[in-house]
Amino acid sequence: MKKMNEMILEVKDLRKQYGSREVVKGINFSVMAGEIFGLLGPNGAGKTQTISMLTGVVEPSGGTAVIGGYDIRKRMNQVKKINGLVPQDLALYPTLSARTNLNFFGRIYGLRGKALKERVEDVLRVVALTDRADDPVENYSGGMKRRINIAAGLVHHPRLLFLDEPTVGVDPQSRNHIFESVMRLNRERGMSIVYTSHYMEEVELLCHRVAIIDNGEIIALDTVKNLIAMLGGGVIHVGLNQVDEALLARIRALPGVAQASLTTRPAPPPANGGEAADTLTIAPTHPLVKVEARHSQTALINLISFLNEQEIPLVSLEILEPNLENVFLHLTGKKLRE
Amino acid sequence: MNILSIAFKDLLIFFKDRGSALQLFVLPLVFIFVFSGLGNVGASETAVTRLPAVDLDEGGTAVALLQKIDAAGGVKTELMAQSDAQTQLAAGQIDWLLTIPAGFSDDVAANQPTALRLTSHPDADEAARETALLVIDGAAQELTLQAQILTSLQMMAEMQGSTPGPQVFTTEVIQAQAQSQFEAAAARPLISINQTAPGRPDAETAAPAPFSGPNVTVPGFTVLFVFLAAGATALSIYNEKKIGSFRRLLAAPISKAELLLGKMLPTFFIALIQVGVIFLIGVFLMPLLGMEGLTLGEDPLAVLLIVVVMALCAAGLGVLIAAFAHTEGQIGGGSAALLWLMGALGGAFFPTFLLEGFLGQAGKAVPHYWAGKALYGVLARGQRLPDVATELAVLLGFTALFWLVGVWRFDFD
Repeated sequence: MKKMNEMILEVKDLRKQYGSREVVKGINFSVMAGEIFGLLGPNGAGKTQTISMLTGVVEPSGGTAVIGGYDIRKRMNQVKKINGLVPQDLALYPTLSARTNLNFFGRIYGLRGKALKERVEDVLRVVALTDRADDPVENYSGGMKRRINIAAGLVHHPRLLFLDEPTVGVDPQSRNHIFESVMRLNRERGMSIVYTSHYMEEVELLCHRVAIIDNGEIIALDTVKNLIAMLGGGVIHVGLNQVDEALLARIRALPGVAQASLTTRPAPPPANGGEAADTLTIAPTHPLVKVEARHSQTALINLISFLNEQEIPLVSLEILEPNLENVFLHLTGKKLRE
Repeated sequence: MNILSIAFKDLLIFFKDRGSALQLFVLPLVFIFVFSGLGNVGASETAVTRLPAVDLDEGGTAVALLQKIDAAGGVKTELMAQSDAQTQLAAGQIDWLLTIPAGFSDDVAANQPTALRLTSHPDADEAARETALLVIDGAAQELTLQAQILTSLQMMAEMQGSTPGPQVFTTEVIQAQAQSQFEAAAARPLISINQTAPGRPDAETAAPAPFSGPNVTVPGFTVLFVFLAAGATALSIYNEKKIGSFRRLLAAPISKAELLLGKMLPTFFIALIQVGVIFLIGVFLMPLLGMEGLTLGEDPLAVLLIVVVMALCAAGLGVLIAAFAHTEGQIGGGSAALLWLMGALGGAFFPTFLLEGFLGQAGKAVPHYWAGKALYGVLARGQRLPDVATELAVLLGFTALFWLVGVWRFDFD
């Protein structure tokens, strides 16, 4: 990774409003040169709107941002030369070949002749599709289309690349290839990257720092390590028939427990259930106590012993492992992939 | 350069889509081939134009002229008193008036040039007036020839009678004389037609351009299909938004104006290519197939200008449709139906004077009418650029309106 001593992006109180509905509510963050910065949040959190404002696709309703030293409200045309955008959609012309698509997007950024040809060959190598470059994009697999979609955002060698959910609908092999490409671009070319996703594994793997965004607001921003540390030794959700303040005080006093409080119940996991492998849900229909542990195993043993001794029936039990998914749940009371 | 890059890319996409190419290039030719063959039949059977006439001569030749005009079909003369006719013409109650001057029959009999007068109200339907003009001209030429041959024969008879001895006029001499009369009648029509508006001096006699099926049908169908290309612009913009490449282009260092111009330019080029193909086939291929060929009139510059303005207007209409139509159904179905309807109202399928009342007037509210009128004027009536200046100006007005409203209402988000 390139030395991160220079700010490439600084977002200042950026807002977007449609009628009375505010979809981005005055967010602030900065991205250092050479950094991979994650915007993590559920669908509709405001990630794409934020990127759209930063790339000139939509006008901000308020606030501003400075990219590469240029204010986006005043010098967007300069900013656009610095930016590269890989939209969430497969923004390619399906009947044209990959090479023709890349040539077109290169020309739009002012590349011509030999320089254009070299850049196109370069990005085809980056996404490992040189041998299929003359096939129409419509004949590609979903993963290959995603890779060309990324290549189209790279052809002009942007200093700051916005990758908006680049792995949606991608098979594991192509997903890994995309991860490798992103890391190589950052490591070898020092490209700064803003990476949005609602897959916490991707953000954990790729990003140096992460902003967690929900309902148009940034609710946490730090390194992945520090964000996860917010959970301490983990969080345990305990469903009980009846809870009062006295009971909460006794739970707080248990060894290994840092905090105990009543919490709102998270929505049930998705129907496929695949995203909740680290949780054990018994019956989420009763008052829920959120227990923040210094050490989850110790806290869990003591908690269960205490409830047995007091003959308090345990209605549900959920152990949240320390990861970004659970950081989000901890902060918002919602699952990331709702 | 960005505009050209976008336009080039869109043309590549367009020509890879065989369906679009078929609609914009093959379909117009099919229509033109079919309707050019039917054009003459349809015109003689259906178009009947009322022709008020004032006979100041009241001689036999004037009566014969009116009978010939009626017999030609398509036009029905209606004799009126001069004062009534002029009052009604000035009030716009009649659209035009044929005046046969006093001494008309004597002049024709004496083989002296004479002129009929066709006075048109400024709001009169041009196409209907043209029909009447063609019929009057045909009848007048027939009379001219008849009169000149009769005069000639009379002269020969007098010469023969005054010359005793052998036959002076052999068959060869008579044939040569008849041929000479045909040529003289064609070169110097004995009866000409002066066209004028009420209160204006007579205009120069306009010789109608050679009249052919393609010259009548090509303008209408050319206009129809050029404007149908507007749907392709709208669909291209819709698809660009649908696949997300529009976002990508908005994020690129190009202005919104460049982006829209780039999207409109292909329609402009396609329209030019389309008209070029239609004209080439009309001029060169149709005669080879034994059909009447298309003639490009007297003023190629006027043809070029009309086509260019029409293509610009169609491109602007494409952006307007894209600004208001937000679904594939609205563009593919709704706007296509609208464009065909506009074509019909504008006279693409049949002359607008056949549409009465509101429908007849509604045609003027669509650019197709003005484009068709200008193109028809130049191709079929031998008009020149100054003659179609009004039509071009109206067409440019439509173009500006479409562009302004289209850009104003365009949703870049």
